[in-house]
Amino acid sequence: MKIVILGAGQVGASVAEALVHEANDITIVDNDRERLAALQDRLDLRTVCGNAALPSILGDAGLDDADLLIAVTQSDQTNLVACKIAKSRFNVPTRIARLRAADFLEDEQLLSDENFAVDFAICPEENITDYIVRLVDFPEALQVLEFAEGRLVMVAVRAYEGGALVGKPVRKLREHLPSQVDARIAALFRQDQPIIPEGETVIHAGDEVFIIAASEHIRPVLRELRRMMRPVKRVMIAGGGNIGYRVATALQQRLEVKLVEHNRSRAEWIAPRLGDTLVLCGDATDEDLLEQENIAEMDLFLALTNDDEDNIMAASLAKRLGCQRVLALINRRAYADMVQGGPIDIGISPAQVSIGTLLAHVRRADVSQVHSLRRGAAEALELVAHGDRNSSRVVGRSLGEIPLPKGVTIAAIVRDLETPEIIGYQGPVGIQAYGHVVIAHRDTVIQSGDHVIVFCVNKKLVHKVEKLFQVGFGFL
Amino acid sequence: MDLIAKLLPPAHILLDLEASSKKRAFEQAGLLFENNLGIARATVFDSLFAREKLGSTGLGQGVAIPHGRIKGLKEAAGAFMRLSAPVPFDSPDGKPVGLMFVLLVPEQATEQHLQILSELAQRFSDRAFREALGACDNTDDAHRLFTDWGNHAANLHQPAV
Repeated sequence: MKIVILGAGQVGASVAEALVHEANDITIVDNDRERLAALQDRLDLRTVCGNAALPSILGDAGLDDADLLIAVTQSDQTNLVACKIAKSRFNVPTRIARLRAADFLEDEQLLSDENFAVDFAICPEENITDYIVRLVDFPEALQVLEFAEGRLVMVAVRAYEGGALVGKPVRKLREHLPSQVDARIAALFRQDQPIIPEGETVIHAGDEVFIIAASEHIRPVLRELRRMMRPVKRVMIAGGGNIGYRVATALQQRLEVKLVEHNRSRAEWIAPRLGDTLVLCGDATDEDLLEQENIAEMDLFLALTNDDEDNIMAASLAKRLGCQRVLALINRRAYADMVQGGPIDIGISPAQVSIGTLLAHVRRADVSQVHSLRRGAAEALELVAHGDRNSSRVVGRSLGEIPLPKGVTIAAIVRDLETPEIIGYQGPVGIQAYGHVVIAHRDTVIQSGDHVIVFCVNKKLVHKVEKLFQVGFGFL
Repeated sequence: MDLIAKLLPPAHILLDLEASSKKRAFEQAGLLFENNLGIARATVFDSLFAREKLGSTGLGQGVAIPHGRIKGLKEAAGAFMRLSAPVPFDSPDGKPVGLMFVLLVPEQATEQHLQILSELAQRFSDRAFREALGACDNTDDAHRLFTDWGNHAANLHQPAV
């Protein structure tokens, strides 16, 4: 596929890295020559230096032949103009834009083909906010991911000494669960090495376990795996930038939120806009300030400034001062890998979180969701199966029959996503959800239209999974 | 064997088309169907791309049969394009594609349409046919290849008396 990426910042570079392989032909445009040179040293791609909103530059980038435009510059305006030009002048079939301002995202009409011609808009800040908020709801989780519009939830947890399943084989999980509840361990990582979970695989203390279940079942399942931690009530946020501000907005109504912002004028700007948050002006790496604000009483500390070192230091300090759980945004992946599991409970690499939604549109085969895992090393995909036994290599076959590459697991399926079913009762009233969850077992047969959740322990395997789910030539 | 001949009038054959990519080739296909059959070019373009996303229609050996369903189309329509230079197509054998047969079918595709598709695949799997298509220098000759090849091939199998 011929892909043109506008913007070689965090998001653009991460997307390029995720897409560079033999079958893709990638050109990246930026006005910073040095940044392009650094990228070109590392990855096999073509670069064009210039203003990404100019038709001539877009022409130089090869938009005439491009299958896909990914406009992820820092500027909403540039991204919008580029999409419009890509549609009207170059007829690029698929156009994706990064948009920060909510104004554009709220009005679908603005993004239609007649107007800015954006097929898919992504908002990294919003993705990261959602990601953090989901972690707040699951105090024991390292990562919480949703599939099939939330019908399925996958949670990564660390197996703790004394947990119900530690020292026992994976197959015991089902014996622990009530009869109507089902779940599957999709993957296990031990000291950063993937272990393919089979029935006899024994879970060790310290293992990172990815477990998947229907949304209404995930909590009882986690309860089997770990003792529950107390729900999050008090949160402290370091950094009142774009992300810190959004997270505080999302949490302040149901939790007690304190936010520490270094810059006085920014603090003064956000304080009146965050009515239920206590906004403090100060340095989050200041031990005295943290102690003064009772850091030891906090259930969760979120280091969300735009400085990796500050985030790592503030979060480590908060942890040492007695905060229950600490999370840090870390742009440099090497740092994130280094600190997670050490002084910091959760290291999030923002670019990896935000490119998931983007990758779903770029992958071959019908992919509706991609989640980057373990900071980009692994990937979980939601693919829609199409065709029949003749035109597809997965439809009409039981999971045992499907030739899965080593390191790839089919974890679960959501069937009939358009059809509602009752998943529980709140008093006499039935709770409805769309789609029927089937947890994967060897004899499960995939049908056309199924949303299949596939776990790849290594992102190099993703290409093979795409191939596996592509329909054959004879599919009409 | 007449299935293919029926959906490919000589006006639907383009030889030595200048197209630098799959996208450009699909644009040309859209234009052809718009001019000859009045189907909006964007409809054709989008439909072909949507199908391609689910899996490449490349057959290998430099051949692809891109196809798509078109709402409101009464009967299947085809176009043949020979490109002046082959373009990347994500084919199973990794080879770029220089011979393209574009097939449009009504939204309610039937057994007959699958039949057409498999007949096309069979025809193009014949190396002599591909070479003849590559060698012919006008659309009439190319058209004749599509209409007569079956008979010609059938003749070969008859005992020479």
